[in-house]
Amino acid sequence: MSAVLAFDDVSRVFGIGEAAVTALDRVTWTLHAGELVAIMGPSGSGKSTLLALAGALDEPTHGTISVHARSLASCTAAQRAELRRRTLGFVFQDDNLVPGLTALENTSLPLELDGVARNEARTRGLAALEAVALTGLAQRFPAELSGGQRQRVAIARAFVGERDILLADEPTGALDTLVGEHVMRLLRGHCDAGKSAVVVTHDAAHAAWADRVLSLRDGRLADLSLASGADE
Amino acid sequence: MTIKHSLLAILAAEPTHGYGLKSRFEESTAGAWPLNVGQVYTTLNRLERDGLVVPEGIDGSSRQSWRLTDEGRAALHDWYDTPVVNDPPARDELAIKVLLAIGADGADVGDILHQQRAATMERLQQFTRHKRKADPDAELPWLLLLDALILKAEAEIRWLDLCEQRIAGRDAER
Repeated sequence: MSAVLAFDDVSRVFGIGEAAVTALDRVTWTLHAGELVAIMGPSGSGKSTLLALAGALDEPTHGTISVHARSLASCTAAQRAELRRRTLGFVFQDDNLVPGLTALENTSLPLELDGVARNEARTRGLAALEAVALTGLAQRFPAELSGGQRQRVAIARAFVGERDILLADEPTGALDTLVGEHVMRLLRGHCDAGKSAVVVTHDAAHAAWADRVLSLRDGRLADLSLASGADE
Repeated sequence: MTIKHSLLAILAAEPTHGYGLKSRFEESTAGAWPLNVGQVYTTLNRLERDGLVVPEGIDGSSRQSWRLTDEGRAALHDWYDTPVVNDPPARDELAIKVLLAIGADGADVGDILHQQRAATMERLQQFTRHKRKADPDAELPWLLLLDALILKAEAEIRWLDLCEQRIAGRDAER
């Protein structure tokens, strides 16, 4: 399996001197092509910091992060922005939908920004909304949708770009159990098709959809599924 | 008593012979609790003694069929109408182990919690792999059983997390 994302001895310290807080402490792990990895841990354990670093939204204090074997530190700001636009997809707790655009427009926006023709972007956007069972609500604006429905639009938007690496922060947080399970099935399908995803979740039943579950405790990482990783 | 009521529930649909009861039970419960056919016959004898079932006749393969009596139907409805309450709670080896390990010489509660969490997570992943393959229409009992097992494992992991947090909180105050 080839590594698509690698953390090598990565630390992230916020503040300096006596006020310094170590959010991540010498973390090493690798995400392979086709792999779904879940990260679990109590709040304040460093999960969001880890995701921000993986998404090139933040920089480590120490260590190296590589995407497709290329160190993020060696990239220019423009190259990192390009990476965020083409290779990485994000699903945040806060759905970040554009209020003035419909569910369908929100979903097809990343494609149009990437230069895909409007009609094709629309077709693919509709297909992504269908995958999250929202076809009937395509013309609604975010304010006309429930929290769970908005979250599903955000997920459709992340899927539509067919990015190599999806980074999801509590993607099932606002959803009821069956819809949450559906989202995990979609993420699973994304990875079974050869792409990869990292899911931060506090929900063990959702983490169990992953190939590997990593546990973060006070900024330190432990693999929770060594045995199951070995038999695959 | 579960086997007794399970047999009554199956017989409520139609008269059935002993082996048929065993297969029907295992089919309905996704094979989770295999029944010994000897257990079925012993239970049928007890149900007959209590007047809850009567012999219905011999089928073509010379097997004895059984039928529910009105008393049997009433006992079945009592079962359906009574919520299941485990009181006192079933003995839980994990809870006992963790409670006894707290403050015990030579026991590292943190290690116990971590190892248990890894083992339970692995089971959770196994259940979830089965769920991925299950057909929601053709295998509904199997899917519902997996849901039950998954939620129990999830509850166990949450309890382990809570143990860790409470112990850390207590240690921080010392």
